[in-house]
Amino acid sequence: MKKFLKMMMSLSLAFALAACGSSTPATSGDSGSTAAQPAAVSGKTVKIGVLVADVSGEEALGFRSYFENYIANNYNAEFTYTEQLTDAAGEKAAIEKFAAQGYDAIISMSDSDRATQLQTSIDNGLYYAVASGMLADEQFEQYKSNEYFVGQVGPSMDAEYEAGYEMGKYFADKGVKKVALYGAFIPNPMHVYRAAGVLAGIGATYGGASEKDAVVGQIFGDQGIDIKKVETGDVELVGYFQGFGDTTFDELFACIGAQPEAFLSVGMATTFFTQNLNDAGIEFSDIDSFTEANGEAMKNGKLVYLAGKYSSSIGPVFAAIMNAVNGTPVRDADGNAISLSQDYLVATDAASFEKYATADKGDTPIFSKDVLDTMIGAVSYDDFATAVAANRG
Amino acid sequence: MDEKKKELQEKNRKQQLLVTLLPFAALILLFVILCIVIQTKGYRLPMYLKIIFNEGVVLAIVATGATFIYTLGSFDISLGASTLFAATMGVMTYNATNSMPAMLGAIFLTAVGCSLLSSVLASVFHIPVFVTTVAMMSVLSAVSAQIITVNGGALGGISIPSAAVAPYDNMAFKITVLVLFFALCLFLFNFTKIGRRQKFLGGNPVCAKLTGIDMNKYAIIAFLIAGTGVAIGAFLTLVYTPSVTTGTAGSIGMNILVAIVFGGMPISGGPRSRIYAAVTGGFSYIILNNILKILIDSNAGYGISQIISAVFFLAVVYVTSMNYRSAYLPR
Repeated sequence: MKKFLKMMMSLSLAFALAACGSSTPATSGDSGSTAAQPAAVSGKTVKIGVLVADVSGEEALGFRSYFENYIANNYNAEFTYTEQLTDAAGEKAAIEKFAAQGYDAIISMSDSDRATQLQTSIDNGLYYAVASGMLADEQFEQYKSNEYFVGQVGPSMDAEYEAGYEMGKYFADKGVKKVALYGAFIPNPMHVYRAAGVLAGIGATYGGASEKDAVVGQIFGDQGIDIKKVETGDVELVGYFQGFGDTTFDELFACIGAQPEAFLSVGMATTFFTQNLNDAGIEFSDIDSFTEANGEAMKNGKLVYLAGKYSSSIGPVFAAIMNAVNGTPVRDADGNAISLSQDYLVATDAASFEKYATADKGDTPIFSKDVLDTMIGAVSYDDFATAVAANRG
Repeated sequence: MDEKKKELQEKNRKQQLLVTLLPFAALILLFVILCIVIQTKGYRLPMYLKIIFNEGVVLAIVATGATFIYTLGSFDISLGASTLFAATMGVMTYNATNSMPAMLGAIFLTAVGCSLLSSVLASVFHIPVFVTTVAMMSVLSAVSAQIITVNGGALGGISIPSAAVAPYDNMAFKITVLVLFFALCLFLFNFTKIGRRQKFLGGNPVCAKLTGIDMNKYAIIAFLIAGTGVAIGAFLTLVYTPSVTTGTAGSIGMNILVAIVFGGMPISGGPRSRIYAAVTGGFSYIILNNILKILIDSNAGYGISQIISAVFFLAVVYVTSMNYRSAYLPR
């Protein structure tokens, strides 16, 4: 009998949770702010939840600082970041919690399952925008006309491929004959596209294929680059590795031992390997962001090529969110959400690096209040797109 | 002498009662604190509780199944990877057949098959079960990652149409599943020789063997039940988010351990094992995490909330360990 009572207690507590939870299910439009009561009219702070998969990278920290230190000080907006999100369930729970806390909008920098993020935001009456990466075409088509989908502004997969291609081509044009490649966190799609671009840029084929989609598909299948499948032209690929773990530095030293003239990375090399590559005297490149550490590596180290994002490049997403919350959403002629790709800025020496870094400093970002004010309010889609394209540092 | 003995018995009885009631008291206390915190902050309580139930239900079910393994004094670290693999196979099957029964069949076959494989390998090679589960974890994670990245491509994951599982994404269905599975486990654990013998095996394997109890047989039964829990957990994971990425269910393996300890069950298994520990501990752990996340500012909160969770964990282990230090045999 005592045992039975214990079981009943444990289950009844679980039910208490469930029963309370199910008594008033969330409904569309149930969030703290809706288009019917614009924030600008009510004068209340716009509360924005930010979904993040990366909480410690230089780029992520730069984005966060821009939102929390610049935007929050200049607009009546408040940002709350999630912890590091690693799966779709975590993303969905985070959005639901933001809804329960009366938030107005979600900005996504996490991409485990964008479709579920969007659907959850819609179900809970939260405006939703993508600030890092982009939705797949079919997903965008499915949701583009929904009023709660504000849009996406950031590098598309094509832009990622192009960034890799330009980096590879830079070294090929420079006459480099032997390179090593770091694949970062393949099969992360962003890194896969960049790596495919690098192979094309140095004039290599992969598994006999040279066309973008075929190469990308094979890299996804191999979950990395199998160096035996790489057929090179004038530029030889003498080493490849990816990820970060116990053997990473052994793999790096093996690559250095192959004596490449340049070390190409599709991400994070400046965080992990700057010291080693400087010591080895090997020129290297990366796709990252315009941070202080990268500036130092370019000025006094062997970093010779950086394709980077700048911290305030997420400014347009904030502007789009504000417009939606304030009841003046930016939509195209067909009433669809914003979809604008941003290219990377490329620095190849300390001067060009300084130019972009200076242009986007903490108090004077590229997407400053002056610029954003022209994008917030009754703005047409074309004007919005023009402002995004015009402000590139 | 008799009085001293009585005194000792009384002290032991009180200690046992405290240890038994503590997990329930902790859960009730945490629940009340959560409600107060949410109300004070002005958040929507019903919605928040629904979210927390959704966060806890998969953990509670998988951990309840795993209790049978832990009762044997064994350990399965591959349960998270098994959940991921079962969900992956479920998605692949649904996308190939458009059939919900086929998807459910694939999930159950995969989960139970993986679980049985771990225990059978341990039996065949005469190595500790947890060693085979370590190997299984690596293999299942790698195979799942291969399937997901090859088929997911630029999306980074694989998915089924949300409409396919939408009818099941409601509290009534999830509560029913939890109740049925818990009732089954409760019956097997407390009212059949399966539970009794597993506790005996976990408490004293040599003695149990000498009385004729077949360790391998009960290990296989334990893994079979755990596999069923994994299958249900994988299905409910897909019901909540109809997609699978390489990170899906990544934290379940470790959370099961935490849940069982929070529930007041010794990690060494044996006669003090409790079938309700997983449900009680699982929800306590989820509620505690949510309280900390609400109270501690997210800018500095992650490290602090982890430290507080760890301190709480150690405190629970210390209090429950009073039970092990008793001068009396468990009964």
